[in-house]
Amino acid sequence: MRLTLEEVLEQVYRGLEDPEFQEALRRAVSNAEGKHLEKLRSHPYLSALARQVREAKEEVINNIDTYVRKTMESLRRVKATPYLAETASEAREIVYRIVGGEGPVVMSKSMVAEEVGLRDYLSSRGVEIWETDLGQLLVQLEHGKPMHTTAPAIHLTVDRAARLVRDRLGVDLPPKPRPEDIVAAVRVFLREKFVRAKAGISGANAIAADTGAVVLVENEGNIRLVTGLPEKHIVIAGIDKILPNLDIALAEALVQAAYAGLYPPTYIDVIAGPSNTADIEHHRVYGAHGPRELHVVLVDNGRLNAARDPDLRDQLRCIRCGRCQWECPVWQQTANLWGGPVYGGPMGVLWTAITLGKEAGAGLAMLCLNCGRCDAVCPVEIPLSRLIRNLKKYYAEK
Amino acid sequence: MLDVRSILSILASNIKATGLPVPAPREALYSWSEGLSIPKDGDTLLYTGGLYQLLPYIEVYSSQLAKLEDKRSGGLLLRAAGRFSSLSRIAGAIVRPSKREVEESKRILQSIVRLLDAAGVRVAYRREVDGYSGVLLYDMGLDDDFKKHFAQVARSLAQTGARTIVTVDPHTTHVLRSVARRLGLLPELEVKTYLELLAENIDNINFKKGRAGTAAIHDSCLYARRENVIAQPRLLLERAGYQILEPRRSGRLTYCCGGPIESIAPKLSSRIALARIGELADTGAERIATMCPICLANLKRASRTAGGPPVVDLSLLLAERLEA
Repeated sequence: MRLTLEEVLEQVYRGLEDPEFQEALRRAVSNAEGKHLEKLRSHPYLSALARQVREAKEEVINNIDTYVRKTMESLRRVKATPYLAETASEAREIVYRIVGGEGPVVMSKSMVAEEVGLRDYLSSRGVEIWETDLGQLLVQLEHGKPMHTTAPAIHLTVDRAARLVRDRLGVDLPPKPRPEDIVAAVRVFLREKFVRAKAGISGANAIAADTGAVVLVENEGNIRLVTGLPEKHIVIAGIDKILPNLDIALAEALVQAAYAGLYPPTYIDVIAGPSNTADIEHHRVYGAHGPRELHVVLVDNGRLNAARDPDLRDQLRCIRCGRCQWECPVWQQTANLWGGPVYGGPMGVLWTAITLGKEAGAGLAMLCLNCGRCDAVCPVEIPLSRLIRNLKKYYAEK
Repeated sequence: MLDVRSILSILASNIKATGLPVPAPREALYSWSEGLSIPKDGDTLLYTGGLYQLLPYIEVYSSQLAKLEDKRSGGLLLRAAGRFSSLSRIAGAIVRPSKREVEESKRILQSIVRLLDAAGVRVAYRREVDGYSGVLLYDMGLDDDFKKHFAQVARSLAQTGARTIVTVDPHTTHVLRSVARRLGLLPELEVKTYLELLAENIDNINFKKGRAGTAAIHDSCLYARRENVIAQPRLLLERAGYQILEPRRSGRLTYCCGGPIESIAPKLSSRIALARIGELADTGAERIATMCPICLANLKRASRTAGGPPVVDLSLLLAERLEA
């Protein structure tokens, strides 16, 4: 779905006129802005790690075909099944075939899943599907879009969140619910879905080309359940998530968490193949307590082209920490209402251009102040404002 | 809802026709220098880039656009005007800037010359060379129009024989020093802001003794993040006797005034300006110091709306502290 600049402005202005939206956003921003700076001060090694991640990402972008091939080989070596989906619809079809129409399916928050429209697609094919990240579940319940990369429901006040949970899940909440009440109710509601789930779908923060290890970082603990309980675990991730080695993939998770403002992260998961045991006669059996099958769907959807496009290639370094969003003066007023149908903020404009074409990003770029605050905070030094200004050319010259 | 492509085509056709982004008489650019005895030739040439002088006109122009934004017919009118490149003529008849704003922009430029003089920096000025840098074209992605326009600017600057160009605002500074250089459009000319020159020669400046009150400093995004002009305004204000109060977001992480998207999304722009003026006012400062004409106009308007302290250009704050 592409939006014209005029349509985006209409949405943005609706957001500006919505006092509840503005209030929730104001509260979230005041808690999140500048958060990474404390983390960098108290853990000085993070800046050095960020530089290493930047260099490693460059290495992969420069040799993207080689690294995709290498990653797929490594995945096969650890008994995972790799796929390369060229387009969003191909990615959806692959996942549907793996799921085999059988639900329920549990998902942990993945922006690439949003990008390819996975949840809605599986649902339209009759698969019962549940988001398990609390914020993302709220987004699913309101049929909306994530309003921040790592904090998808920041646009909802506690009252609005409670209304959604009550009305859509039929869950009982006290008359004046606190965030704690909502968390507890959702925990109970989802527990049974986790246990019954036939498949779990996660994203990936990083995938190590040398080992085929998938690295995931989280705080809620839902990823552990999504990736650990069902028989099948499906990873869906952009090829930009590939890093050369496992050490740097782990570094990426640390840097991502710190710049997202949550450090140390509560959990980091490393998943290299399906669960297995060789406890009886040293005979390797796949499918122990965790999944028996691990499928990794690598998504291109414009990324290979972007790697060769000087206007977009730097954006492939993005580690989706959402820091540029928290710091952007426009985003602080609009959240992801500005940035594209899926992504939002400064990084969103560019991801929209990568995944939907430069023209789709170009109209959005016109709302950028070009103030460069995003550039100043990006952990991997993406010159966001310069790339966005370059996109304005595509708007202006048409 | 504004039709953005129309705004772009109006902007481009204005510049193509008159060299200026908005309908304004050419003397608006240099009338500030009348009566001043500034030499025409010299190694160091003042190039104002016209932003301070044009801002009163841009203000009126964009408030007219903002009004159109709320009218259903507005988009149509704009689209038609854009198509026939005729809004410049329509608007030419109706852009009457506020006299006070025009006078203020003159005082700012006159103060800058006085300050440079007090610092012992001798600048030359040529009204026929001074003009608009084309920065808006570049900012809006109209690269071809920008390159064409700027080629003329670069040619006339080179013909003066000056070796250093002195700029007075962050946008012109950035275009001359970084953008034009990156695009290979400017010959080997040194570009310095008047703030850098003043700071380099600060010991020559004779400021009044005693305290001058408090000033909250609003860093320009381009100065702070692209041109490394952060320390200079602070040094100058301090030497002039001001107590500097830093807002929550300052220096390299300074916060935009919202100005750059004012003509595209006025409501969004003004929300950003209000957020910024709020934190500047929170410092409790008597006055707010800006160093960019766009910040000045935008924050002044926001401060009026929010009942905040006066917003004053840095040059005026410094000049009022010069010994007579």
